[in-house]
Amino acid sequence: MDQIIQTLIIGLANGLLFALVALGYTLVYGIIELINFAHGDVFMIGSLIAFALIAPVSDGGYAIFPVTAGTAVPLMVLGIVLTLAVTMGLTAGLNAGIERVAYRPLRHAPKLAPLIAAIGMSFVLQNVGVVLAGANQRTIENVFPTTNLLSYIGIDGITLTVSQVLVGVVTIPLLFALSWFVAKTRQGKAMRATAQDPDTAGLMGVDVNRTIAITFLIAGALAGAAGVIQILYNNVTVWNLGFRFGLIAFTAAVLGGIGNMKGAVLGALILGIVSSVSDRYVSANWTQAIVFGVLIAILVFKPSGLLGQQLADRA
Amino acid sequence: MSNATKVIGTGPGAWFGHIGDSLVAMQHGYGKALRRSRGRTIVLSLIILLGLVYPLLHQYVLAEFSRNVFALPLPDDTVMTFMMIFAIMAVGLNIVVGFAGLLDLGYVAFYAIGAYVAAFLASPHWAAIGINLTFLGNVGPEAQGVHLPFWLILVIAVVVVATFGALLGAPTLRLRGDYLAIVTLGFGEIVPLVFKNLSSLTLSFTLGPIVIAVDNVNLTGGVQGINPIDPPFLPFLNILFDSRSGPLAVYLGVFLLAITVVVARNLQYSRIGRAWMAIREDETAAAMMGVNTVRSKLLAFALGASFAGIAGAFQASYLGATTSDFFEFSTSILVLIMIILGGIGNIWGVIAGAITLTYIDKTFLPYLGQRAQDSPIPLPNPAEYNFLLYGIILLVMMRFRPQGFFPDRQREAELSVGGLAEAETAMGVELDLDNVSVAPRGQEETGPEARKAETIDEARDL
Repeated sequence: MDQIIQTLIIGLANGLLFALVALGYTLVYGIIELINFAHGDVFMIGSLIAFALIAPVSDGGYAIFPVTAGTAVPLMVLGIVLTLAVTMGLTAGLNAGIERVAYRPLRHAPKLAPLIAAIGMSFVLQNVGVVLAGANQRTIENVFPTTNLLSYIGIDGITLTVSQVLVGVVTIPLLFALSWFVAKTRQGKAMRATAQDPDTAGLMGVDVNRTIAITFLIAGALAGAAGVIQILYNNVTVWNLGFRFGLIAFTAAVLGGIGNMKGAVLGALILGIVSSVSDRYVSANWTQAIVFGVLIAILVFKPSGLLGQQLADRA
Repeated sequence: MSNATKVIGTGPGAWFGHIGDSLVAMQHGYGKALRRSRGRTIVLSLIILLGLVYPLLHQYVLAEFSRNVFALPLPDDTVMTFMMIFAIMAVGLNIVVGFAGLLDLGYVAFYAIGAYVAAFLASPHWAAIGINLTFLGNVGPEAQGVHLPFWLILVIAVVVVATFGALLGAPTLRLRGDYLAIVTLGFGEIVPLVFKNLSSLTLSFTLGPIVIAVDNVNLTGGVQGINPIDPPFLPFLNILFDSRSGPLAVYLGVFLLAITVVVARNLQYSRIGRAWMAIREDETAAAMMGVNTVRSKLLAFALGASFAGIAGAFQASYLGATTSDFFEFSTSILVLIMIILGGIGNIWGVIAGAITLTYIDKTFLPYLGQRAQDSPIPLPNPAEYNFLLYGIILLVMMRFRPQGFFPDRQREAELSVGGLAEAETAMGVELDLDNVSVAPRGQEETGPEARKAETIDEARDL
């Protein structure tokens, strides 16, 4: 029983991380029906930026906001907040720039043209990753104490670490902020209108290009936040991290029903749990194949996903 | 091309007769081309002739020159063989993407399956579990493991891979273009993973009276893969086409490519080829006209895949080894770039794309890398950044020349005369075809349509 709960905790932490990236896929697909292949690589670039900001010089970073195991708690919080702000800003700008350069000129081309351009962009970003950080993995020391928080309330069989809590502390407020933004603000309304019908939204006075750019900004910022968490939680990054991770996140978005934000989070949590269960009870070697198997199964049997609406031309 | 329709549904005997017909037809076609545009035909013929002589020229003259006098970026026979392997794959992927308009991002899976079919059927691999079978192979009867002749393996690889193509295609063909792309991508990722991970299989189950128990069997060789694999072998003449055979292997590649080109060309102009093009342009309309869209798309998947099976079996036999590392997503994309560069839909274009890109990838960039290493000032090694170049190629091609460098003439004509662009200009509006068409349309349509739409967009912004 303890083992199962432990697996669930790990799965939820992974799932929250997937959710941040999955939201980027779902937002972009919702608004321009493009599978933004390069999104996983924006996440990877985010993790490299976070690495550069946090990691000590001895590990190959620049220690601009040094966060190490020895840092005092207030300084550590400040460092993490600043890292988040800078990384999210940079990846947001990067993602919006990608949209401007690669996708906007192809907006009215057949659907497969921007998809192929996105694949090209993905390769470009991966190579930027190699140029920035080399071909080898970059790792940092775990900065958080590894004590079990649950032992304070008398549970010893299950472990909940500070880094797992951090994943929740960063991710959950972001998810609520995004949900508020899309549901309550004027710009959010413009996003929803554009997603429904860009032409009509344009006629109603919505600046479609600006709305799409803002969607990419938000998606990029979320990917940046995920990159910071990747460094603090998994402590490792490498140039090809984004491809596989991006596919998992995309699978999550499809599982939940692409275009649907709640669905993306739900799908990500489910996949997080599926992958941790697979790691634990099958073999880490097979996790990747199982995730892709899930992807194929959903697309074939229920392309609208768990929470997606049934669209005639969607499948 | 009425005889081309015989391709589907006739026996193997008719097939060979048909290939003979095709050769005669090609001769006629050549005469016609010579009359129509003399200069162009002669230049093209000379290029092809030169290409055919080049492997020998390289072996006996140029390699020496490059080694002793002045280093030139010349493709050696390994690179040339790979040019042929990739050209075969490009012709196959062109059937799926170019003719039928289905974007397949997991083409490498079929390449991998072809390679492993060869590995399973012509190596000592199965000796470990006591299966020994030698049949007309170029090894003695005392050899351990399974050894079938290369030519039989080619046929088996085609059948097996086409079956997998149909298996993948069957449930996915209902999907729209970009979803189909992702499903094929997932398949392309799973297949090499399966080959990598099935290195210690333990299972046991009971099927009625039959008990099947497998204990720790190394099914696929795991990370190490399978080797040695028997090289292609020509009986009676006793010729081996392995990686030490120099130009011989290149010519075997040319021969296999020639077969695939003849098959692909016949398919293109046959009933099924016209069905594919109808589906590519507008699936709904094609269905209304009586095209069996499911059957046609399945055939596109299966036939396109089988070409990768040939390429895979040839590659594994030629190299004498195969590992799962060989078959990555990037290989799928590399073949896709080849056909985009060359001109989706045009067989000669995609072959040119395959040869050019293989040359750049395996000869030119490493050559530049060598120069960069020798230079007194430190320079980055271009060979390490090959995919940066390919990414940029994809971006630039999609933006400025989505139809490729040698676009299919028929498709260009289809698109320019009375096409969508004309209608739009005449009516002064942008037609939204997305609501009409459920078929993923080909890339060739991008150019005029995109430019028109942009100006409308700009007008709206004002």
